[in-house]
Amino acid sequence: MIWQDVVTAMLPEHILLAGMLLLLGHEIVSGRERGGFLIAVATVAAAAVAACWLSATGYTNSPFPGHYSTDAAAAASKIVLLALALPVLLASRDDFEESRYYVLVLSSLYGACLLVSSDSFATIFLGIELMSLPVYVLVLIAFLRPESTEAALKYLVMGGTATATLLMGVSLLYGWSGSLAVQAFADALGSQDTLAVAGVVLVVAALFLKAAVVPFHAWAPDAYEGASVPVTAYMATIIKAGVLLAALRIFGTVQVLRPMTDMLAVLPLVSMVWGNIAAIRQTSFRRMIAYSSIAHAGYLFYAFLGAGPGRHQAILFYVIAYGLMNLLAFMVLPRGTDDPAHDRLDAFKGLFQRRPFAAVMIAIAMLSLAGLPPLPGFIAKFLIFRNVLAAGYTLYAVFGLVASYLGIYFYLRVIQYMFMSAEQPAAASGRPRRYALVASLLCLAPAVLMAVFPGWLLDRL
Amino acid sequence: MADPTVLNLVLWLPVAGMLAIALTPRGQDSLVRAVSLGVMLLQLALTAWLYAGFDATQPGLQFVTNVPWIREWGIAYSIGLDGFNILLVTLTAFLGPLVVAGAFTAIQKDVKLFYAMVFFIQFAMLGTFVAQDLFLFYVFWEAMLIPMFLIIGIWGGERRIYATLKFVLYTAFGSILMLAAVIYLVYSLYTTTGITSFAFTDLYQNQLPLDTQSWLLAAFGLSFAIKVPMVPLHTWLPDAHVEAPTAGSVILAGVLLKMGTYGFMKLGFPLFPDATRAFTPALMTLAVISIVYGACLALVQTDIKKIIAYSSISHLGYVMLGLVSLDLLGIQGAIMQMVSHGIVAGGLFMMVGMIYERCHTRDIAAYGGLARLLPVYSVFFMILTLAAIGLPTTSGFTGEFMALMGAFNAAWPQFEAGYALPLVLAAIAVSGVILGALYMLWLAQRLLFGGTRAPHQPFTDLDLREKLILVAIVAAIFWLGLFPAGPLSKTELAAREYQQLVLGTHVFGSAP
Repeated sequence: MIWQDVVTAMLPEHILLAGMLLLLGHEIVSGRERGGFLIAVATVAAAAVAACWLSATGYTNSPFPGHYSTDAAAAASKIVLLALALPVLLASRDDFEESRYYVLVLSSLYGACLLVSSDSFATIFLGIELMSLPVYVLVLIAFLRPESTEAALKYLVMGGTATATLLMGVSLLYGWSGSLAVQAFADALGSQDTLAVAGVVLVVAALFLKAAVVPFHAWAPDAYEGASVPVTAYMATIIKAGVLLAALRIFGTVQVLRPMTDMLAVLPLVSMVWGNIAAIRQTSFRRMIAYSSIAHAGYLFYAFLGAGPGRHQAILFYVIAYGLMNLLAFMVLPRGTDDPAHDRLDAFKGLFQRRPFAAVMIAIAMLSLAGLPPLPGFIAKFLIFRNVLAAGYTLYAVFGLVASYLGIYFYLRVIQYMFMSAEQPAAASGRPRRYALVASLLCLAPAVLMAVFPGWLLDRL
Repeated sequence: MADPTVLNLVLWLPVAGMLAIALTPRGQDSLVRAVSLGVMLLQLALTAWLYAGFDATQPGLQFVTNVPWIREWGIAYSIGLDGFNILLVTLTAFLGPLVVAGAFTAIQKDVKLFYAMVFFIQFAMLGTFVAQDLFLFYVFWEAMLIPMFLIIGIWGGERRIYATLKFVLYTAFGSILMLAAVIYLVYSLYTTTGITSFAFTDLYQNQLPLDTQSWLLAAFGLSFAIKVPMVPLHTWLPDAHVEAPTAGSVILAGVLLKMGTYGFMKLGFPLFPDATRAFTPALMTLAVISIVYGACLALVQTDIKKIIAYSSISHLGYVMLGLVSLDLLGIQGAIMQMVSHGIVAGGLFMMVGMIYERCHTRDIAAYGGLARLLPVYSVFFMILTLAAIGLPTTSGFTGEFMALMGAFNAAWPQFEAGYALPLVLAAIAVSGVILGALYMLWLAQRLLFGGTRAPHQPFTDLDLREKLILVAIVAAIFWLGLFPAGPLSKTELAAREYQQLVLGTHVFGSAP
């Protein structure tokens, strides 16, 4: 182990760590609890630049062989995660001024970065816990309504269950193969051995739990609703992306065979159908987004049906399109939506009259999440279903597309409320967030580029 | 001489118009209207230039632009004009300024957004017509939903939300299955030939077994048949038309409905020729049912807009009849009928809008004897009525007559060979002409003649803006009715190509 390798290969993580220490130091030295915002933004931006640099130079190294390695895929994943975190931080300015909030976000990001560089289940475990633990606190920290406690507790219990399931699966795999390397999972996928199959099923179940795939989804709506807006945005995008990118790491490029494909197809398919149908009944915006994210987790896991090489491209593209558009919708939400009354979809009525910019941005986000062209969500959906079809699962692809059709209605309903309904006299609008414009442009500009030049991005994934 | 740049300019001009409108300050409604009209007129002028420069003696595409878009998947930004779309592009550009001018007084709410959406849909419609790449086509095809959803939903009538959701959910369902078929089609091309391409010309060469062709045609066909709309998938149309604002109805009847028939002509039938020939009797039956059933429904309506909406179903039945006849005359007639219906139905919706703005009702029973109250209006309405019936010298006659002739041309040899169904169907289709005369003349009679009755009196006759709009429409009707040779000659080579593609066998393994 050469320490220079450790410094270079883990540069994004080191920057995040330095940022955390700086935040803590700043708080101790200045004696003020506030003012961490700029340090956090600068840290994440610097970490993202570092990841870009690793990616651009094609840096490949393994400072901790068998546990941690930096390669093109890991660097690309880190760029995505860190870049998506920037708008979240910008939007946090109004809700959180305490340094401890930013320390928690940075440490969660550290975990996510660790996760996508993992080569062994030991590091995966470390990463997934480091990513999740701060979020339990983040859900609780706003404490704007009693439900926050309940949501945090639910999330904690379900997260703990997921961890236990993961550990059980990993130990079975270790017993079967005698190795903690992620490769053991890929080997076990092709095996008929009961021990191996049980291990695979448990690991996949843990991933489903973390990503909120039906029937392991029940925590998501409560957690999303209980948290404050930036935290919900963080959970819906970065945590979900982190889990999926970790799954990508675990599955490798192995072609999944029957009967595992059925588990990987049926549960996500049920997830799409149920997520989209349940979202129709929701009256709260964030609960609706939670069910929408359950459906999107289904699309994302569908990608694992496809051939190995296309998977990485499809999932990364989808995660970017989905993340950007979700964030765009959250960024322009008026402040004060933490109040249960404000979170109601009714509060969106006539939004176009009050705040045209926010209404147009939310409309773009909804149309993209619904997967309508010419928005990036469509290309992402196209990519996933193309891979599924090319792998020979015609029926699964058709069912999946029909399931995605079910989702169009509730996204359009948001647009209907904003543009077509008369203004509610009760729906006094909160003030817009301070950095909403910057944050939304930060989400919109890449999304437009993705829609106009998708080929450019695809060549680089 | 026009070159490909002009076509690109025509296509992207609406986007420029949209941005220009977005940048105008709030509250400057008249400026927005002026900018919109200016951009639309410029687009019309450029399209006229393209039309004049289109060489009718040259087969295949003209003004081609072909740039790789997503290289890895063989997707290209590929656009061009051929005999199929030249008239439809011209129609779209012709209706653009009329729609904009027609909405000057009717739309007072969210003016900026309205014209931005009109430009958006103009862009999507033109793109659908000129696209020569299946992915590009699909993107434009689906993109049409968004502006139409808003146009009906924001500026529509009382039940607008119901109507617009019905419209979107109907069309989106067809499209989602089409998407599956598109992906499957392109992937099957890859497995049989090793080429990854979305280009129409490559996909025409694809050879598939009959059962696969049938499934794919069903998926494409469902999407197109909903848009046409063919009975029994037509139930969204009356609601959408009745609730839409005038501009929305004109766009819907004028151009959007042609997307379905254009899709069949450009994609559905030529891509799956064997399945098409196997399903011809079924398709022909559906077309004739649409003609007769649409006309019968039009007869019993009491809402003026509904009559014209149901008449659209009937008129587009002729288009389908001409297309499945696979006779040269029938195919050219189908194209002609599309253009003619676009102008006539667009004009009729415009006129209904004008009377609605004055009296705020579309109930026929509220009107009577308008010929005395509004003489100028009545003259124009009568001309459009006669064009809708298909009186000789109007465009309606050219299209309908040719489509029917084509059907008979194709049916006669089959009848002599002992197969009577096509001839019977063609004969039934003729009754649609009579029914058409019945409902349109009856409408004109109740509206224009008899005892003088109108909800609000007195009101003024047409103003200059409205007269100019209608003069343009009437001029186009007579031009197509009296001198159809020019436009028809532009479609001839494309019609022959279509005929060859559909009649040529594509079944995997059989001799070409």
